[in-house]
Amino acid sequence: MSVYVYGITRSSHPGIPEKLGGVGDPPREVRAVASGKLVALVSEAPEDLKPKRRDLLAHQTVLSEAGAAGAVLPMRFGGVSPDEAAVVSVLSEREDHYLERLEALDEKVEYNIKASHDEEAVLHQVLADDPELRALSEANRNAGGGTYEQKLALGERIVAAVKQREARDAVVVQEALQDKSVGVSPGPESSGWLANISFLVDRGAAHTFVDAVERIKELHPHLVLQVNGPLPPYSFVE
Amino acid sequence: MSVVPAQQGGGGSGGTSGLYDVLELVLDRGIVIDAFVRVSLVGIEILKIDVRVVVASVDTYLRFAEACNRLDLEAGPRKNPGLPDLVGEMTESGARGKSKGALSGAAQTISDAFNSARGDGDEEKTESSRSRGRSTSSRRKEEQE
Repeated sequence: MSVYVYGITRSSHPGIPEKLGGVGDPPREVRAVASGKLVALVSEAPEDLKPKRRDLLAHQTVLSEAGAAGAVLPMRFGGVSPDEAAVVSVLSEREDHYLERLEALDEKVEYNIKASHDEEAVLHQVLADDPELRALSEANRNAGGGTYEQKLALGERIVAAVKQREARDAVVVQEALQDKSVGVSPGPESSGWLANISFLVDRGAAHTFVDAVERIKELHPHLVLQVNGPLPPYSFVE
Repeated sequence: MSVVPAQQGGGGSGGTSGLYDVLELVLDRGIVIDAFVRVSLVGIEILKIDVRVVVASVDTYLRFAEACNRLDLEAGPRKNPGLPDLVGEMTESGARGKSKGALSGAAQTISDAFNSARGDGDEEKTESSRSRGRSTSSRRKEEQE
């Protein structure tokens, strides 16, 4: 029977969340499959598994529960093994590698930071920084908004200025936070934020990290920052 | 929108509060094992689209030009103190917030398009309704479903 795999941890892990509800409806029970010094957190794989909210949440919850008690290597959502024997053979084949990663991630958590601009505030800034843009904007306004061509001309320059600032602010965010972390991983590019960055943070230093985020907000009020964490170290397992 | 870590038990059950915001990590990061089959991710391309990115296009140019016209340089909450000589000429536009309206409107259009293109049950619908204006409480509610 095929087996859904949530993550990998040490067999000495003190809080393996067995019996917790996993993916599927009704939720399939989480159990441990052991091989040597490693354990995989698995459950039966429902046949029609799709990336639905309920199942994504179950995946995340199992990893969060297990991660609260000790280092866990999270699997990407949706990994299904044909059977338990295949899980065991993967664990034994890569035992050294996984043990090394578990040691590296001990007492570490991931924080994901997403930054975007407050549009109005950033427009204020780009106009304040560039007298030419300001004059152009003022001329359009005095002309009742301006012609289509004038609007395009102004808009093109504003967009260029905003994009420049996006790139600059992405650096600002990363530089302000990388000192407070032990690892940095750019998030998947698809999501369209001016910065989407994951930081690996010592669990004990999490407050220092969050304080640094607050300082960025104070210093750069045109930035909207979203902090998500502590998370299982999805971005730092490889 | 921020998640304060003190409210989360070291990655414990509090991890649910931010699922929506870290979906791309759950789907794009983490260990992948070649010997395993991966569940099809058809139906969640919504992750690739987000109105927050500023794209160079005629529509964006026009939108930003309009937003500038409406910008009230005097009353802005983060007014730049270096602009005193402009203030007298730019106090007439009382349309603060309209640019935000335009943004969430765009998000709505995209999510409508996805809903009608997919329409495969409630769960997909909630996943595609990503927009800037969503309240935390409604998001929580959806996640508990």
